[in-house]
Amino acid sequence: MVLLAKIALGFGATMVLAGAYTFREGLLRVDVDESRGQGHHVRVWVPAAIVPIAIHFVPRDRMREAGERSAKFMPLVHAVAKELQKYPESELVEVHDGRQYVRIRTHNGNLLIDAEEPGQTVHLSCPLATIDDVSRELAAFAPAS
Amino acid sequence: MTHRTRHLFPVIAFLAAAFLYAPLGTQAQTSSTQSSASAHGERWLHVRVISTNSKGETVRVNVPLELAEKVLPAIDHDRLHNGKVRIGCMDCDGVDVRTIFEAVRSSKDGEFVTVQSNDADISVMKKDGQLHVHVHDKKKSKDAQIEVKVPMKVVEALLSGSKDELDIVAGLHALAGQGDVELVSVKDDENTIRVWLDSKNVTTD
Repeated sequence: MVLLAKIALGFGATMVLAGAYTFREGLLRVDVDESRGQGHHVRVWVPAAIVPIAIHFVPRDRMREAGERSAKFMPLVHAVAKELQKYPESELVEVHDGRQYVRIRTHNGNLLIDAEEPGQTVHLSCPLATIDDVSRELAAFAPAS
Repeated sequence: MTHRTRHLFPVIAFLAAAFLYAPLGTQAQTSSTQSSASAHGERWLHVRVISTNSKGETVRVNVPLELAEKVLPAIDHDRLHNGKVRIGCMDCDGVDVRTIFEAVRSSKDGEFVTVQSNDADISVMKKDGQLHVHVHDKKKSKDAQIEVKVPMKVVEALLSGSKDELDIVAGLHALAGQGDVELVSVKDDENTIRVWLDSKNVTTD
């Protein structure tokens, strides 16, 4: 009985610590709501902590391909993500155009992009540190210039 | 559950809480540092476009100058390389823009160009270390006013590169050393455009 309790305790503590670590790193969220047509709703919530880990499981030839394709703009993405981390709370872009709306801001170290148009809304949230990590990983696979 | 096991709960709870909240504490500390940095030295470039047409378009862009300075050199596209824009007409129709600028820079404050016509009134003047360009467009149904104010140090920095290019990063760096200033103001019957520099990371209309 005592042994079972200890195992349960160890398991519980591990889960708490793993959960704490995961959510400390933030969440990568993509919400797409389509009210026109078939009305698709897409919700993707991924703990940002697993993204850099997951990259290591992507086949190298795929990473090389992605690195080659993104080679041109990845230094820019890396520079923007790195610099934006210094501005964790800021309104960057807001555009109203009739019934269309786009807002880009940082909040709690996350990059938030909200886009709305009649029949569709898209909300994206991604920790800047994750964008920085991914851009660095991809840059490592980019062909040397 | 034994007495010993029960004693472990506070320890684990403490460890979990410490692990969970320690980074938040660090983050809060960092935010506070950044917030005060914002108050002391951060410079923000703001762009605002407000259109009074039927769609009511509005554009608000806020860019930290330091970010722009760091990010621009990473852009390698078309005429923009390494934070510099290549322009082909620094020697426009035999007019050497650099020489003219040098002459303006070394001269005293005054109005250098005045054009008055039925279509538009244009004036270019130097005042308090700033280059002022004022255009009054009379062709539109409602008169359009365009005001551009550029600190001379910024123009100097922009032209500090090689002959046929503008050094945007140097220009931004020089701009960061300026006080709060309205750089561009355009008002016509449909649009109001403002570009200005201050130390606030939010825009207030």
